[in-house]
Amino acid sequence: MMKKDQNSGQHSASFRDPSGFLFSRGGILYRQVNRKYETEYARLMESGLYEKLVKTGILIPHVETDQISTDPTGDAAFKVIQPERVPFISYPYEWSFGQMKDAALATLSIQRRALKAGMSLKDASAYNIQFVHGKPTLIDTLSFETYKEGRPWVAYRQFCQHFLAPLALMALKDVRLNQLLRVYIDGVPLDLASELLPWKTRFNFGLLTHLHLHAGAQKKYSGAEVKSRAGIMSRQAMIGLIDSLDSAIRKLNWNPSGTEWGNYYDLTNYSDAAFEHKKQLVNEWSVRINPALVWDLGANNGAFSRVASQSGSYVVAFDIDPAAVEQNYRQIKSEKTENILPLLLDLTNPSPAIGWANQERESFATRGPADMVLALAVIHHLAISNNVPLLKLANFFAEIGQWLVIEFVPKSDSQVQKLLVSRDDIFPNYNREGFEAAFKKRFKVCEAVNLRESERVLYLMKNF
Amino acid sequence: MHFAPHLYLDPGSGSFVIQLLIAALLGLAVALRASWGKIKGWFGIKPKIDEEDDEEGSK
Repeated sequence: MMKKDQNSGQHSASFRDPSGFLFSRGGILYRQVNRKYETEYARLMESGLYEKLVKTGILIPHVETDQISTDPTGDAAFKVIQPERVPFISYPYEWSFGQMKDAALATLSIQRRALKAGMSLKDASAYNIQFVHGKPTLIDTLSFETYKEGRPWVAYRQFCQHFLAPLALMALKDVRLNQLLRVYIDGVPLDLASELLPWKTRFNFGLLTHLHLHAGAQKKYSGAEVKSRAGIMSRQAMIGLIDSLDSAIRKLNWNPSGTEWGNYYDLTNYSDAAFEHKKQLVNEWSVRINPALVWDLGANNGAFSRVASQSGSYVVAFDIDPAAVEQNYRQIKSEKTENILPLLLDLTNPSPAIGWANQERESFATRGPADMVLALAVIHHLAISNNVPLLKLANFFAEIGQWLVIEFVPKSDSQVQKLLVSRDDIFPNYNREGFEAAFKKRFKVCEAVNLRESERVLYLMKNF
Repeated sequence: MHFAPHLYLDPGSGSFVIQLLIAALLGLAVALRASWGKIKGWFGIKPKIDEEDDEEGSK
């Protein structure tokens, strides 16, 4: 559930921009456009920019409603609009490299089109981009302002911190550095990025200017007043700046290889028969339950997310491995899949609530519950590698979803043996009986099927 | 800041300064590229279709 103010229903992440705000009423999300923003809104709608961006799928479509403002004075409201619903809100620290790169390029593409229509983005926050129908989409309709030639891009600093710095760090230092965004909610500080990046990146024109020199200038001019030299940044120069950022971003690449799970399915003890049997059961149960929202936890490259998505469910495919998430994203992109969202998540330490009053960005669990949770070949990692007692696991799964499809992997399984090879077996209850006893405290077991040619068991359970 | 009276984000003084420097340089590059297009045009070489319009065209 989206956190909101008790009285007004105003969304708790929506307070910074005086142009308007988001609020919920009757389970529907609305955006108030303030009177202050009237001219800009009219220009967005009438210049053809809105239509162009929506047609390309990089701006969220909306309809104008006759809802009344929740603003106590009521004076500020100009219009209330209802944007298309985003099936699942994700955050940049949950994106793979490719998702982050596409979000950055989408932002620049929007800025280019906006400039053509005499407008400009007044912010370039990664949080304003969401994956809708499989593509990065700007969800903040109020991000545009009238472009005044001569004025530099006000969102330049934000763009570099939210997109360029994390992408450069991921591509050229370590892909895990996107996790810095969990700490720095307004993007990676440029001086930090500059310090962490290899020295040779100074020979890359884009990174030299937009990151290293930019960081230096920030330090040098910190708090200084920039005397008016308006008019100095021509339209052509602005386009040059956007092109240069675009080319700097396009040059950054990262390919999944040599990672823990990259070729997971080639390394398992699975027979084809067990794999197919599992697919068949997931398919049968998804069709039977027909869930709107599925969370596939430990989705790897999304083989089972694909099965669950076939009946039209929206599947969020979480995995801890950046390579698996990247592979999954590339596949949904090439197949133009609209109802699978691959995301990066460490289940043993899922995304927390962050930002002002811990309410700006929601935790993993508060973005649920899902209608159905898939937990395939994941329990031994949680129960054995992470020492989580089975009852705690049952409680966790019961909180985040109504239906649960869970695979029990017994101790005799070679994957579990591997986890126990260098440590004491302190898990006397980790067996089928112990597992069922714990989960029956929170769930009704509807099905329990032994997978063919395997010692593993697949369960369908319902929360009560 | 003298550029914009209604900013809700702090664009950062340093970010403005470096932008103006880069932009001056890149503006020149864009101008050169545009003229290069014209020169090519004299020889009958068609300019590349604009990426954004191209994306729309393919919809």
